[in-house]
Amino acid sequence: MATAAPPQPTTRPTYADVTRDVFATLGNPTKTWYILFGFVLSVLAVGVIALLYQVRMGLGVAGYTPPVMWGAYIATFVFWVGIAHSGTLISAILYLFRSAWRTSVYRTAEAMTVFAVLTAGLFPLIHVGRIWYAYWLFPYPNQRMLWVNFKSPLVFDVFAVSTYLTVSTLFLIVGLIPDIAAIREKATGWRKKLYTITALGWRGTDQQWRHYTRAYLYMAALATPLVLSVHSVVSWDFAVSIVPGWHATIFAPYFVAGAIYSGVAMVITLIVPLRKAFKMERYIRVEHFENLSKLLLLTGMIVAYAYVIEYFIAWYSGNPFERASFWNRAFGDYWWATWTMITCNMFLPFFLFFQKIRRSIPALFVLSLFVNLGMWFERFVIIVVSLSFEYEPYAMGHYTPSWVEFAILAGSFAWFFMWFLLFAKNFPTVSITEVKEIIPLPRKKDAHA
Amino acid sequence: MSDGMNRRRFLKVLGVAGGGTAALSGCSTDRVEKLVPYLVPPQDQVPGVATWYASTCGECEAGCGLHVRVREGRAVKVEGNPDHPVNRGKLCSRGQASLQGLYNPDRVRGPMARTADGWEAISWDDAIARVVSELGSVDPSRVWFLSGSETGSFGRMIDAWLAAAGANPRVVYEPFAYEALRHANRTIFGIDAIPHFDFANAHVVVSFGTDFLETWLSPVQHARDFADGHAFHEGRMGKFIHVEPRMSMTGMNADEWVAPIPGTEALIALAMTNAIVDGQLATVPSDISRVRGLIDAHTPDAVADRCGVDAETIRRLAREFAAEASLAVAGGVAAQHSQAHITAQAVNLLNYVAGNIGRTVRFDADQARGASRYQEVARLASAMGSGQVGVLFTHAANPVFASPAASGFTDAYQQVGFKVSFARFMDETAALSDLILPDHDPLEQWNDVEPRTGHHALQQPVMRPVFDTRQTGDVLIRVAQQMGGGMASVTQAATFKDHLQGEWRTLQQRLGDRRDFTAFWNASLQAGGVWADAPAQQVRLATGASSFTDVPVWNAATGENFTLIAFPSLAIHDGRGANRPWLQELPDPVSKITWGTWVEMHPETAAEHEIHDGDILEVTTPNGTVSAPAFLYPGVRPDTIAMPLGQGHTSFGRYAEGTGANVYSLLSGEIAGFGGLSFYATATVVKTRGHQMLATNAGRSRQMGRGIAQAVLLGELTGEVEHEEEHADHAAPVPEHIEEVLDAWQESQYEEMEQGDYAADNPRWAMAIDLSRCTGCSACVTACHSENNIPIVGPELMRRGREMSWIRIERYFEGGEHGEPLETRVLPMTCQQCTNAPCEPVCPVYAAYHTPDGLNGQIYNRCVGTRYCGNNCPYKVRYFNWFDFAKEGEPFHAFPEPLNWQLNPDITVRTKGVMEKCTFCVQRIRAKQDQAVLADRELEDGEIMTACQQTCPSHAIVFGDLNDPTSRVSQLSQEERGYHVLEGLNTRPAITYLKKVRNVAEA
Repeated sequence: MATAAPPQPTTRPTYADVTRDVFATLGNPTKTWYILFGFVLSVLAVGVIALLYQVRMGLGVAGYTPPVMWGAYIATFVFWVGIAHSGTLISAILYLFRSAWRTSVYRTAEAMTVFAVLTAGLFPLIHVGRIWYAYWLFPYPNQRMLWVNFKSPLVFDVFAVSTYLTVSTLFLIVGLIPDIAAIREKATGWRKKLYTITALGWRGTDQQWRHYTRAYLYMAALATPLVLSVHSVVSWDFAVSIVPGWHATIFAPYFVAGAIYSGVAMVITLIVPLRKAFKMERYIRVEHFENLSKLLLLTGMIVAYAYVIEYFIAWYSGNPFERASFWNRAFGDYWWATWTMITCNMFLPFFLFFQKIRRSIPALFVLSLFVNLGMWFERFVIIVVSLSFEYEPYAMGHYTPSWVEFAILAGSFAWFFMWFLLFAKNFPTVSITEVKEIIPLPRKKDAHA
Repeated sequence: MSDGMNRRRFLKVLGVAGGGTAALSGCSTDRVEKLVPYLVPPQDQVPGVATWYASTCGECEAGCGLHVRVREGRAVKVEGNPDHPVNRGKLCSRGQASLQGLYNPDRVRGPMARTADGWEAISWDDAIARVVSELGSVDPSRVWFLSGSETGSFGRMIDAWLAAAGANPRVVYEPFAYEALRHANRTIFGIDAIPHFDFANAHVVVSFGTDFLETWLSPVQHARDFADGHAFHEGRMGKFIHVEPRMSMTGMNADEWVAPIPGTEALIALAMTNAIVDGQLATVPSDISRVRGLIDAHTPDAVADRCGVDAETIRRLAREFAAEASLAVAGGVAAQHSQAHITAQAVNLLNYVAGNIGRTVRFDADQARGASRYQEVARLASAMGSGQVGVLFTHAANPVFASPAASGFTDAYQQVGFKVSFARFMDETAALSDLILPDHDPLEQWNDVEPRTGHHALQQPVMRPVFDTRQTGDVLIRVAQQMGGGMASVTQAATFKDHLQGEWRTLQQRLGDRRDFTAFWNASLQAGGVWADAPAQQVRLATGASSFTDVPVWNAATGENFTLIAFPSLAIHDGRGANRPWLQELPDPVSKITWGTWVEMHPETAAEHEIHDGDILEVTTPNGTVSAPAFLYPGVRPDTIAMPLGQGHTSFGRYAEGTGANVYSLLSGEIAGFGGLSFYATATVVKTRGHQMLATNAGRSRQMGRGIAQAVLLGELTGEVEHEEEHADHAAPVPEHIEEVLDAWQESQYEEMEQGDYAADNPRWAMAIDLSRCTGCSACVTACHSENNIPIVGPELMRRGREMSWIRIERYFEGGEHGEPLETRVLPMTCQQCTNAPCEPVCPVYAAYHTPDGLNGQIYNRCVGTRYCGNNCPYKVRYFNWFDFAKEGEPFHAFPEPLNWQLNPDITVRTKGVMEKCTFCVQRIRAKQDQAVLADRELEDGEIMTACQQTCPSHAIVFGDLNDPTSRVSQLSQEERGYHVLEGLNTRPAITYLKKVRNVAEA
């Protein structure tokens, strides 16, 4: 994964340039930002209203059709958890591998991680029948002497997601400290207060730097296994069951690869407009996109391999239920969902073998949107299509999401972008510190500049 | 605080906040409830202990005995009376749902009179005064009384009352009467009666369209007898051949289905008679010479083309029929065409030559004595139409709905001067009346019925009336008293109960019972009635039989036309069940459709016309047009379509109105040759552009080779045919080394169970379901609804597969394509209470857990609603509360007052967001265990009965302890036919199914 540092930009930014350019992204938002933010808030409001309606009336207002007891909510949950994964991959694993190119994109990816987990974590709550008792899934001491069932993968989930949220949040905050201190010096008004508090007294002393770099390294080491474990645990929600189409040992690696795949796609989706809006072309360069797209290609190929293997094993196992389930996926009532997923995730990434595509930002942007779509459909296919076609022929059914589910799905995107917009306007989306680190030391004659 | 918060203001704020808190906490309960102590407790009421009353079911003419469970003064469950000779403790769905007649929210709640702008509630005194004044002002010859079938004292009292008033004789109307059968018995045997058909002792049964397991005569009794005579037992079983153009639920139970050209059943019966007489297959009575010419003319070869059944099949059927104790029945749907009496006459001859009369057809016990005559109704209609009817009383009949629109009854009815209805519900007839004097529900009134000669069953009130209703008998007595004169002599009694007791004094004398009357009366009440046998009767061919010379058949439709068969729905019957939500939501045993009307059409015909399931079809006959969705059914002839009757009410309460379409409007009002109605018509079908998703619980109707409902040939069990394992693919033999691993794993898994609570001396509750006895009648489904407070969800949610019924009668088709014979299998699917249950480990909060006695417990209170258990259940028997079905004001509220009075107080009602499923009636298990502990004794095998088992008319379900090797369920589980559904998943279910046995030569 270690790639060489990107070629030096023609007009090499100086330390001062970096601080100035990044600081320019902060401060009072433009009208466009307000319009965008207003739009996001109104979509979120629709989602919240739909949720309240569902809580009031019961889950029947969603489209569930037994035997499909899980639907769009769990698919969206897995989707967002998956999105979260590339952030930690880019910030922690690439950090450990000393991949210098990560510096200009990792902050965005990391923020995306935190907000995606924040979004994902809502869905198990939205999905349960009695949201007001969802806290029963936590093992807390209580007078009723009740305890959770540690055999249930849903309890693993509670731990996996909450751990991931904690660690990725801490990681983001720790990485932000020197940057916040840097902008603290320039900020005014309430922002000054905010940065003074959140900089945690950073003064940039040698001792602080020594502690900071160690802390960051250890946190990276701590976060790294989570990249693999969290989505493995999520995959066990399915793999430990006896549902044909779920009960497969390939699920953990398959889900992890899929998660990173979707996450990288989401990073591209986010960075392209961000780069444009914040005029970051000097820092986020085509080379960065090329590296991201190589990552996309690699994980995409793993996903494609997993798809093929899934079908192969279903056939090779000789298990008639598995065979029927996979036949139904490809040619049953939901063939369109399956083929959307296969086209987006398996066939389209082949374009990335062409360098021209890898270096074309519009092409990558479009492709990343397709991958996002495909990965949502992957979860939909795994969950809904498998459940609709299990063991009892008499109890097979057909599920279509209702407006409530679509509203909440849209609301979840709004929720995610709300956090992202707030973050982008108040915290540096490109790491000042780390970008400065990879700029070669200033030569003497430049020092006057 | 700095901005002027002083002491005074602080106290003010505190006061407001405190008051707010108090007000808020006051909102936590909706209303103040008071505990009132029993100062003088009623003698027969112990809170928490049920009282049981014996009574008689008033839902149909069969007259099954009831035991009604009453808790704290409210009837909460009906069960069959085990001592009653008709039903022996069993009930059908309609019987189970009689509680929803009692507690129906759409009952007429008190006497009402019509005014210019709608209905006005009046007092009983006023109501009776109005009747008296109307009666006094018309000529007695202009007074008529229309009633349903009444076989006991009440019917006789009406007759006496009418006679005393000098009015016209009572007219009885039941749409499905037995006029054709009666007519045939008169013609052939000279007896005007309906015999008792002994299915239990018939080894070969041939049914000519008779739906004897559904609605015909006495279905509960027939189901039990049929299962006893037909089901596989110790290497033997009966054979059942069903002859009908459409395979009804009864037909689904047949070993062989013969589908003749509609209306030609008589030819087949005569040809079989011919084959028996010709081939000397039985000792033919000599007086058969009276009809010899007729029989000779109808050889199998001569009729084969006309009826569409080949001669060899007819001869084989005749051989099988004559070889053993047999029974042929005609009636029900196939016999309800205009030539139905001819079919019944031919079948009478068939039974006669095979020696069945007096053996399996017993005329000594007349059933359904009060059978109606449609021609009388037609006469009444014409009298009404010509304005000759001054006062018409209607009791327990709804001819405005349940008669062909073409008969003109509705218009004629409006010509009547004064229309008095005794209806319990605002049905179509009541809605057009001038005065409604609502009758008690059968569970609130005194009455008696005589379902067959010698059987006298009592009906008694099991609780105080729910509404301000009055028993019609009492009303008639009051009217007679006020009329005075000759009418006062109708009865000496002051109330109908006294009158009934008077009748029973006479009965006691007739029976020669020497006890004190009170003792006799109380003993009869307790037992549900008195049972005496009627004397045997010698039956020979009547001289009139020789008039049976010619065999007109119903003109089957040809060309583009279809033969339409309108059949009574198992649950809704002629329409009277349509206001019972349990019955509306009971999937039809054949189509599995709820809440509506449908058109059954053969898939090949449908393919020709590009019709798919749910396409709205317009069915047109000379009498009318009806639209209904199509249901593609391989069990109907390609030239025939079939539709269920009973839906499409315009006024019968919230559950009936607007549901389905009224198929009566397609029928002709003409009087058939036997004096009754014809339920066959010639119809054309047009596909419209509309489409409606069927409100069905069926996912797929084919088993996909998964061996869910398994069957075996009789020959395989007796060793005559080589045993061929029905290969459910997953049941392929497990390799030995895998078996070892599985065993070791299982042991480790259940090591803990050997300790503590899970020690082996606990029972292991289990069930055995014999598929060779199960008929698919679905009585268990309704019983389960009643016992376990299961909500109904309505058509909209049914379409989305959200039914809550804990039992699902799965109906699978085998064959029926490419010329293969169609075989239907049914399987009651409910929670399998797996030993190794997939639902349990995935629940994050232990809401699904394993009880020490092997049940898969479900703790509603603990359930958060993740629904993982539902996903992981391979049998799909877990049901989720998508809405608050039990909460008032919610959109899918299932128990509007007073339907909620029926709720079983031993069971909780479930809130939205929790999962529920079959519990093996754990409340019944615990109750019996507690009783045994209190009495310091061991539980006996068979003492605990689940609600489904208790009501199963064919005794298909056996419940008990698997850890007791002597229990019946243990023994049945060891049977050769035993299997578990989806055995390959190693869930180790507690339900053992016994394979259906098919008595046919080859698969």
